[in-house]
Amino acid sequence: MIMPTPSAATSNDADFIARSSYLVIDDFQGMRSMLTGVLKACGANPRAIDTAANGPEAIQLLTKKRFDIVLCDFNLGHGQNGMQILEEAKFKNLIGPGCCWIMVTAEKTVDTVMGTAEAQPDAYLLKPVTEAVLTSRIAKIRAKKETFTDIDRAVATRDYLKAIRLCEERAATDKVNAIELLRIKCDLLIQTGQSDKARQTYEKILTSRDVPWAQLGLAKVHMQAEQYDAACNLLEKLIDDNRNYLDAYDCLAETYQKLGEHDRASDTLERAIQLSPNSHTRQRVIGELALRTGKLERAEKAFRKTLKLSEHSARKSPEAFLGLARTVGSLANPKEALNILEQMNKVFDGEDVRIKGKAVEGHVYHQNGQAKEAQAAAEQLSAMLDRGNTRHDSEAAREMAALLLVTGHQDKGLALLQSEIMNNPDDEHNLNAIKQVFHKAGLAEQGEAVVETSRQEATRLMNAGILQARAGNHLDAIGKMREAVTKMPRNVRLLLNAAHIMLNYMEQAGVEASLIREVRNNLLTANQLASNESRFVDLMARLEKLTTRTFT
Amino acid sequence: MNQPKSDVALFLASSVHDMKNSISVLQDSIRRNLLQAPHEQSESYQEMSQMLYETQRIHGNLIQLLTLYKFSNDLYPFHPETQELGEFIHLAVSHVAPLLTSRSITLETDIEPDCYWEFDADLINGIVVHAMNNAVHYTSNHLRLVVQVIDHALEIRIEDNGQGFPQQMLDDGIAAMRGVNFNTGSTGLGLYFAAVVAQMHGSRQEKGSIRLENGGPLGGGCFILRLP
Repeated sequence: MIMPTPSAATSNDADFIARSSYLVIDDFQGMRSMLTGVLKACGANPRAIDTAANGPEAIQLLTKKRFDIVLCDFNLGHGQNGMQILEEAKFKNLIGPGCCWIMVTAEKTVDTVMGTAEAQPDAYLLKPVTEAVLTSRIAKIRAKKETFTDIDRAVATRDYLKAIRLCEERAATDKVNAIELLRIKCDLLIQTGQSDKARQTYEKILTSRDVPWAQLGLAKVHMQAEQYDAACNLLEKLIDDNRNYLDAYDCLAETYQKLGEHDRASDTLERAIQLSPNSHTRQRVIGELALRTGKLERAEKAFRKTLKLSEHSARKSPEAFLGLARTVGSLANPKEALNILEQMNKVFDGEDVRIKGKAVEGHVYHQNGQAKEAQAAAEQLSAMLDRGNTRHDSEAAREMAALLLVTGHQDKGLALLQSEIMNNPDDEHNLNAIKQVFHKAGLAEQGEAVVETSRQEATRLMNAGILQARAGNHLDAIGKMREAVTKMPRNVRLLLNAAHIMLNYMEQAGVEASLIREVRNNLLTANQLASNESRFVDLMARLEKLTTRTFT
Repeated sequence: MNQPKSDVALFLASSVHDMKNSISVLQDSIRRNLLQAPHEQSESYQEMSQMLYETQRIHGNLIQLLTLYKFSNDLYPFHPETQELGEFIHLAVSHVAPLLTSRSITLETDIEPDCYWEFDADLINGIVVHAMNNAVHYTSNHLRLVVQVIDHALEIRIEDNGQGFPQQMLDDGIAAMRGVNFNTGSTGLGLYFAAVVAQMHGSRQEKGSIRLENGGPLGGGCFILRLP
């Protein structure tokens, strides 16, 4: 007789298995009936099991019906693989947070364990799948979900301080997930400008053993403090000891970029691609690096590969199309570049994409000596800007401004760059890039002056509010700050100062719901733009204190 | 004339991979047949049980070969995670349960309650299952699996009531066990694999290790895996 050893699966889990609905996705009929058999043996209701042979079939079923548990083969032959089905299902909201998605694979690979795909399954199961293993895994996933649901929700609503508190509470009782909780807590600390606390935790862990995630975390702490050499040393050693730790390659590539070593950055990513050839994001970054360093053939190859890899992915981005169009345009093939932009417009909707595409289109014409067409594109771009319903990052703004300046739309281009400077008056990298744009348009001298006056203007606008606050005129101060935020909605220092002044006011005069919302928005925007700002947490804590005092 | 140089190691690895998948399918159907077979004493049942033992052995060996190949080419995603030992052993035992039943071998487990440890579950599961399969072969009718924390390390012991290991094997130690012994048919692969995997675990002060002993409560052989 075999002495039974206890299983973590409780009667509650058995209940869950009995009343759950299942979807089995596998391209082989034999595997489908095998997995169905195992499910039945676990106690699943045979009538609650559906099967699909490929991506489209699976998506169709997922659209019609909510499944509690999905068993999906990782490698499905042609078309979508298991990962892409999961991505699409998540992207289209076909599975809720309660759904257990289990990926079945023939073997453990770097991709399955450490892939940096945005959509991760709840578990990987190695074939052969047995009843005991499946039951145990379902129980484990449920326990994990119970631990992490609140934390995930807090992170999703960007209530980071609550998420950190929850991590601490849960880690004290949940021994299986304690390390994962600690890891997430440290990530959140870094994300909220509390690198010092994260550093202490990492260093404590690393005194007794070399734990890769803690070493990576420490490198990120260095990066946030702009200690790129230190980060670089750590990451190089980390990769030496853990050749297949893909996250470390991405981080090292980023560090090299910060150090201006673009060749090393791309070498690092090329090594990562050897290990995991199917990441379209990584291919895209390689393309962007190659384009920046003038390696056009390499850039074209990488962008084309990005498009091919993301063809079946719900998470493809327009950036690969834009990058490819820029590259091909620079290779003196304007027709193909325009063709690519047209394709992009078929796949993606939205003004934000259109305006970026228009800027690239204008540059393609300009580069290839089609002045009239470049002019027309610039006019269309200018009209789109006038409508004012697009949002763009600094890089896109510079690209648009560059086109406007070389096509004679000086005022528009200037305004765009002025706004960029005022939003980032202390970002040396951005300021230099803006000076470059002026330089290329033959306006170097004017550029220097514009940068200087715009920075002064940014300071003047912010100080107007601060001076009122110092004089004790709270409401005037708030008005001035609000005015400044409208003009510089991405100026981090301004957003934090505005929040500070508004909090001061409410701490004395009492809370106002609309002001609470405004402070919260300012703070979250600031954090999103610059996660290394240590003031964020203190201001957020003050806000929390105010809200709990009134609303509970 | 120059022949294109073939990468034999790569061929070996991909063939091993292919064979492993075939064996896996075979193993699955034998296991299912065995569960459905009515008479435990019947000849076909015993034959199938033997088939299961052999396919499990081959499957285990192929996985170990493939994993060692991945180790040496930096392809194995080493991934330690916290495990609750009761559950972990329950799963390991479930892999050998049909074999134990078919051979009327009893198993007792003695697992420290509420015990959590961090290790790569797939690798350690491979070692434990392999060690139990091995013990099934050499025991007379009883196995004992003990899990306890001793001196800041997790120790997993697999004991049997058979004849024990040959004295030569104990004298030579783990390090000497490499290459095929044509007298016993032992390749030493299992022990070598276990030693390599154990080494990958542990802290800066102490690395993981394995050792063999004779005696103990059951008086037979004993395989011990120690993970600091």
